[in-house]
Amino acid sequence: MKINTLKEIIKKKENKNEFAIVTNLNTGDSEIYETGKKLSKDLEKYSDQIKDFYNSKKNGIIEDTEIFIETYVRPIKVIVVGAVHIAQYLVDFAKSLNFEISIIDPRGYFASAERFPDLNIINKWPDEAFKEIETNSNTALIALTHDPKIDDPALQHALNKKFYYIGALGSKKTHTNRCERLKEAGFNEEQINSIHGPIGIKLGGKSAPEIALSIIAQLVSVTYRK
Amino acid sequence: MKNSFDEKILEEANDWIKTNQKVVLATVIQTWGSSPRQVGSRMIVNEKGDFSGSVSGGCVESAVVRECIGIIKDNKPFKKIEFKVSNESAWEVGLACGGEIAVYLEQLN
Repeated sequence: MKINTLKEIIKKKENKNEFAIVTNLNTGDSEIYETGKKLSKDLEKYSDQIKDFYNSKKNGIIEDTEIFIETYVRPIKVIVVGAVHIAQYLVDFAKSLNFEISIIDPRGYFASAERFPDLNIINKWPDEAFKEIETNSNTALIALTHDPKIDDPALQHALNKKFYYIGALGSKKTHTNRCERLKEAGFNEEQINSIHGPIGIKLGGKSAPEIALSIIAQLVSVTYRK
Repeated sequence: MKNSFDEKILEEANDWIKTNQKVVLATVIQTWGSSPRQVGSRMIVNEKGDFSGSVSGGCVESAVVRECIGIIKDNKPFKKIEFKVSNESAWEVGLACGGEIAVYLEQLN
């Protein structure tokens, strides 16, 4: 691979583009493929197969050829509501798992850049904050404040936008009350039951990093089920 | 849904290149049976044999490092190597898990 190609790949990853690297194993030549891009003469004849791999986000060698394809997908967007202690550990886990985290917290002391360096922190109420973030059914929400004023509007947004993962921190009692409020707000049972609450898989730990681990484990497992 | 669960090996390769190291990129291009790492898994190796990332669960990395140093020395642009099920002799390089993998080595230049 040429260093220029490597640099181009890194740039595309930084810009969160979707693309594929196509390598001719017989010549060692690599090129970048993305939607609408024309392939080089050398690879043109495989364009249908390359598109198949690209669209199904697969990696591998095209059958009976020496053409290898590796696809890159956009990192999954995870919105964390509440710049709390658990969120600090979530950020660490998310980094190695390549989730793209944004944190929403209207409370200035919590949402400080010192607590969360190099991170997109939105120091606003969820309704305002969501105007700045593009979300869809491939987005995840982790609500951590267990304060209805902050969590509820975010949960409602996530339900309306059909986020693929919605989790909310809080005891069983907190969660029952939360479900009640969402019901009153007009959400149906199926929607309410789609919320993971109390959040996380049962690991047994109670410390902030352990809770963060249980949340991230649940998030990964739901990501693969989708 | 597929997450990229990206290990940032290419970014690390670029950092190594910036410090004038010669870098070989090793990529798992094919697997058969139960192999520890999936297609697309990567490691990088420099001329001294320092490496980062993985193409197996530690089973074949030392052999990959040797091959990479070899292609830097011989100034070969690329090479494809395959690893099969390890046999009984304890120190032989191979995949203890019984799988097979093909790894593509290429110099970054």
